[in-house]
Amino acid sequence: MIGGQGGDGTLTVSDLLGRYFRKRGLYVYMSRNVLSRIRGGHADASVRASRDPNSSVKANVDVLVAFDAQAVDMGRAELAPHGVVVYDSTTFRAQVPNGIGFPFATLVGGVLGQPIFKNTAAYGALSVLLGFDPLVTKSVIEDRFRRRGGDAFEKNLKALEIGRKVALETEGVAGRFSVADGDAHDMILTTGNQAVALGFVVGGGRFFAGYPITPATEIMEYLQRYLPPLDGVVRQAEDELAAINMIIGAGYAGARAMTSTSGPGLTLMTEGIGHAAIAEIPIVVVDSQRVGPSTGQPTRHEQSDLAHLAHLGHGDFPRIILAPSDPEDAFALTVDALNLAERWRLPVILLLDQALSQNTTTAHRFGLSKVVIDRGKRLTPEAVARLEQYKVYELTDDGRSAYAPPGTPGIWSEVTGNEHDEWGHVSVDPANRHRMMRKRMEKMVHARDELPATRRFGPPGAKIGLIGFGSTSGPILEAQRSLASRGVSTLYLQARTLFPVPTHEIDPFLKEVDVAYVVEHNYTGQYARLLRESMPWHYSKLRSILKYDGYSFRAPQIIAGIGEAA
Amino acid sequence: MVVSAKPVHPIWCPGCGDFGILAAVKRAATDLQISASDLVLVGGIGCSGSIHNFLEVNGLHALHGRLLAQAVGVKLANPALTVVAAGGDGDGYAIGMGHFIHAFKKNVSILYIVMNNETYGLTKGQASPTSPIGFEGNVEPPFDAILTALSIPAPNFIARTFSGDPKTMTAILEEAIRFNRDGRGFAFVEDLSPCVTYNDTYKLWREKVIDVTALPGYDPTDRKAMFRICLEQMEAGRIPIGVMHRSKDTTPEGLERKLLGDRPGPVLSDIRLESRLPAYEKLLAGLN
Repeated sequence: MIGGQGGDGTLTVSDLLGRYFRKRGLYVYMSRNVLSRIRGGHADASVRASRDPNSSVKANVDVLVAFDAQAVDMGRAELAPHGVVVYDSTTFRAQVPNGIGFPFATLVGGVLGQPIFKNTAAYGALSVLLGFDPLVTKSVIEDRFRRRGGDAFEKNLKALEIGRKVALETEGVAGRFSVADGDAHDMILTTGNQAVALGFVVGGGRFFAGYPITPATEIMEYLQRYLPPLDGVVRQAEDELAAINMIIGAGYAGARAMTSTSGPGLTLMTEGIGHAAIAEIPIVVVDSQRVGPSTGQPTRHEQSDLAHLAHLGHGDFPRIILAPSDPEDAFALTVDALNLAERWRLPVILLLDQALSQNTTTAHRFGLSKVVIDRGKRLTPEAVARLEQYKVYELTDDGRSAYAPPGTPGIWSEVTGNEHDEWGHVSVDPANRHRMMRKRMEKMVHARDELPATRRFGPPGAKIGLIGFGSTSGPILEAQRSLASRGVSTLYLQARTLFPVPTHEIDPFLKEVDVAYVVEHNYTGQYARLLRESMPWHYSKLRSILKYDGYSFRAPQIIAGIGEAA
Repeated sequence: MVVSAKPVHPIWCPGCGDFGILAAVKRAATDLQISASDLVLVGGIGCSGSIHNFLEVNGLHALHGRLLAQAVGVKLANPALTVVAAGGDGDGYAIGMGHFIHAFKKNVSILYIVMNNETYGLTKGQASPTSPIGFEGNVEPPFDAILTALSIPAPNFIARTFSGDPKTMTAILEEAIRFNRDGRGFAFVEDLSPCVTYNDTYKLWREKVIDVTALPGYDPTDRKAMFRICLEQMEAGRIPIGVMHRSKDTTPEGLERKLLGDRPGPVLSDIRLESRLPAYEKLLAGLN
């Protein structure tokens, strides 16, 4: 864990460590904990490296790096008994048992004239403490700063050497820890937000409109780089109302269109999502959840938009909600979301959370081998020419009508948010209303077999069930491994389609276990409520393990939750 | 010949000013030889926003106040389409005001027609943002869209027409659509369209309208001059009509051109995986 004031460069230290560990074939999971301000205030980051996949924050911190006294105070509680505190002794002395103070700011300032390189000096000292290979340590600096231009690279190299030197000259630092190499090679370091942006591009997404909002903004920023060379359009809209309606216009016109937002923006987009559903316009809405309601805690983690999304909007309308667990899953489900939206002509919501969106992890390189673009009943001009008539809302067995975008020669259509007949003409006829409601709503039934499947982890026959979604999968899997090592078997069901609730998968699971703990980040147990609503016969089997303090679960907290509830 | 949606009979009251716009849009499409397939009419919510139902055209009926955002999405996704957004003064100047201002700034080559009747007709005659003080108990001063439009420094086309003068209206709409087709950016036309049921202003407006193009000092490339002329006429109790602004620069400044140049854009570009394989592989290989 690395802590200090915003601007101290704590995120840089974690980035450098993450790059080093990745080069050594280790799995990496990096979380960040920052405030909603540009500079100042306490900020910290944590880096975890392991020989096995691990997508959660470690509960017992081995090394705490502190740039100020507050970082020591805040990090101390999470420190393991053997944990060491490396701190910048320029301005304070840490009153801790295993403290090692180096005056990074003074040392660096004396040589380079600017104390801002103290973070790289700290990385240098850590490389000695953790027994890093000096050449690889240096190559990380090169990777990160070489392209910056100016003298950034040279100055950071000097700072690195200053940090290494002072650590090597201090007794009991060198080799205090050692880090074994791993076998995870050719991995990338990425985030959920980047994975969504890439999935959108390769899934044929070509139109994006959004409004800056933490923790979703990076999706728009990545797409501003990725899309224009591919004839795509990315716009920063004047607000979320404009963003959702711009993608509705683009989706109607025949583009694969998406927006991304977080709770406050999602609330504003609600009317538009309902409109897309009744007008049968395909759109994908990414919701990266943060602490709500209102402005809540913009930079903090929560999973509390689910109840809103499942019951979203005025009137009844179909929607599909997908929830990936990690960047690889996010990449795949973004492609699925685009296909489902266009095949079924309805809004698909891709539900992320702050930890998934912004935490950096190692991932296998995203590949194209499994990417399929399925445009459903999209009509080509040649197919249109063979038609006798073109009804944009034609009634069919599965609710899917063929679609030809505006500009297709020889035909035109009426697309509307009013209730309408097959031609798109406004209709108040009760029999037609009945038919059209069923056409739209039953898409969720007909689409069932195409929805991303749940995943199961753990030995068949285990009687303790765990259920979760999103980034919570990481700590749940760690808790599962930890319990298994103590002889406690559990079965974990990771839900990837949250709505419509895949009862055909979850009902059998709940029949197999004696009890199922639904692990989620909100106050009311929103997912447990949704499961109870869909399968009331399992009401008493479902228990909740909840956390809503803005921090993601640590595995021991889940284990304790099971202990308490049992 | 494939049969598409047939136009339905207008829901408007006999004598409604909106019939003027309907006829003018139809005439303009014919004169400019725009096929029904290539024309998208985006309607707002309110009496005027149902206009797309009454023409052989691609109709997109938007949410209240959001027609401009949807129209911008359509045009940026497929710049080959002719996109006309049409709605009322409540839709555009009240609930949709944020998008209205930003439409000038964005400068996408679409035409936006506001049928201004100074009231909420469909909900039976409440005061709108353009209602004069005293109308239905209104105490707020009326909003003027032309002065607002002139205040935004973007290369747009800005005009006001009157449903009592269909000939001029048609000519102005045609010029606006040509402006869009040349990729020169956003065109805004406010039509004075009386509501014969709740605010019958035909007689009053016929007396008050003044064609600015005939006034001394008229220069639609000079915002400052046009702002002054319009304001002076309004202070004298007149309603200025005519083309108020037409950017001097004829280069295609429309946002869709700036972003895409002559490239096909999101809808018409090939999204099949195999068509972009080298670009995707390069993008994915660049991650570390």
